[in-house]
Amino acid sequence: MDNFKYVKDIANMEKIVLQQSQNINQEAATIPEEFSEIPSDSVFRRFFLEVSSLTFFTFRFFKEVFKPPYEFNELMKQAFLIGYKSLPLVGITAFIVGLVLTIESRPTLANFGAESWLPAMVAISIIREMGPAITALIFAGKVGSGIGAELASMNVTEQIDAMQVSGTNPFKYLVVTRVLSATLMLPLLVIFADAIGMMGSFVGVNLKGTTSAHLFSSQVFQVLKFGDLFPAVIKTFFFGFAIGIIGCYKGYNSNKGTEGVGKAANSAVVFASLMVFLIDMVAVQITSLFQN
Amino acid sequence: MKKDTSHKIKLGIFISFGIALFIVGIYFIGEKQQLFRGTFHLSGVFRDVAGLQAGNNVRLSGINVGTVENINLVSDTSVRVEILVDENTRKFIKKDAVASIGSEGLMGNKIIIINPGTGGKMEIENNDIVQTIQPINMDDILISLKTSIDNTSNITSNLSKITGSVQSGKGTLGRLLTDKSLGQTFDSTFINLKESSAGLKMLVDKAKKSWLLWGF
Repeated sequence: MDNFKYVKDIANMEKIVLQQSQNINQEAATIPEEFSEIPSDSVFRRFFLEVSSLTFFTFRFFKEVFKPPYEFNELMKQAFLIGYKSLPLVGITAFIVGLVLTIESRPTLANFGAESWLPAMVAISIIREMGPAITALIFAGKVGSGIGAELASMNVTEQIDAMQVSGTNPFKYLVVTRVLSATLMLPLLVIFADAIGMMGSFVGVNLKGTTSAHLFSSQVFQVLKFGDLFPAVIKTFFFGFAIGIIGCYKGYNSNKGTEGVGKAANSAVVFASLMVFLIDMVAVQITSLFQN
Repeated sequence: MKKDTSHKIKLGIFISFGIALFIVGIYFIGEKQQLFRGTFHLSGVFRDVAGLQAGNNVRLSGINVGTVENINLVSDTSVRVEILVDENTRKFIKKDAVASIGSEGLMGNKIIIINPGTGGKMEIENNDIVQTIQPINMDDILISLKTSIDNTSNITSNLSKITGSVQSGKGTLGRLLTDKSLGQTFDSTFINLKESSAGLKMLVDKAKKSWLLWGF
């Protein structure tokens, strides 16, 4: 019972914060032109309100995710839409990245007479960084904007309110399933992207000169270590979570109106891509801390 | 409903393939690091490991058979290197095997090279300590190279002095090559020699026929 009350409190606080931020928006709109210097203060306030509201949203996600009933069917449906449906796009991107990286690196390595290092070098850059980062960005573009737009249009057409009235928990049904499937599907997509990227690199190596698939794979696995693979895969869980939660937050809390849908989709992509890079930077620091 | 099932099947295939790929990747990386095969431990003590790192390869007859597991400083002059070697190669490594530190190329990683030892000896055992040879340090090579270069420059400067004096006609060799009168003297000497040798031949021929020398 206490637990439930706590969740309710969080929901109330979130509402208050949102109301305040909307009030500020209105205030900004009503301020006459001669006071246009003043909003710089309100930009800061709006930013911090946004941060606290996103934090509440994340807390609420963690509260709701462990609480039954679980929406397994919806989770499966979202995993299919978010994971399986993104595979072709991610695959094509990864293949091209592998191919291009190989072709572009060849002249530099050839200067040192180290062309035989090409597979090893491309493997390390794809597995460590290019695979996770490129996949996460494509994922943010496709899935983050999709979630943002979908939830925002549901918000505009008051479907979320209708859900609440009919006794379904909209947060659980819409947000938890999407965030969970984004968190779980992105690492899988990254593993596919790594494999397909290596195929692209194999083709790139064979455009000039011949390297058998066996030699290529033994050169690749010669240099790869667990320390390259695991941190790269673990950070993609965080990428996926960030993309899912930001997409949902932007959609769930969008302004009413058609404009709000576009804004929600747009800001979801921008903010999620930025978060991917921020998390990546922190992940690299932590990884290098443990490796040295 | 039918569509829903086909979606679930596709999702299932997607997830299983993804996880399978991950496991295959782990297996191949682990296989290289010898985690899933029988291995045994060896160690050796070096005075200087010349930049060897944990994870570097161990080679026997040019084949990678293991990795460096651990490197510890035992005292100020000795470094203990523990290596992990494939169990299948144990029968080829004998008790008197010798480990040395080499490198994969001029600029490459450091490696441990195991010399398998003599044929008739016992096989090496787990946790044995192998004998070691101190690695040749690049600095030592450069120092000895510098001595040789210094010597070479001395030799060439001497040589150039000699050739210079020969060319300018100094010394016996120089006069031999440049002095014309010396050549003429030689000529006349040879002519005299030729004449005297002809005279000598005639004398010997006559002496052969002389009765005084019969019996010789």
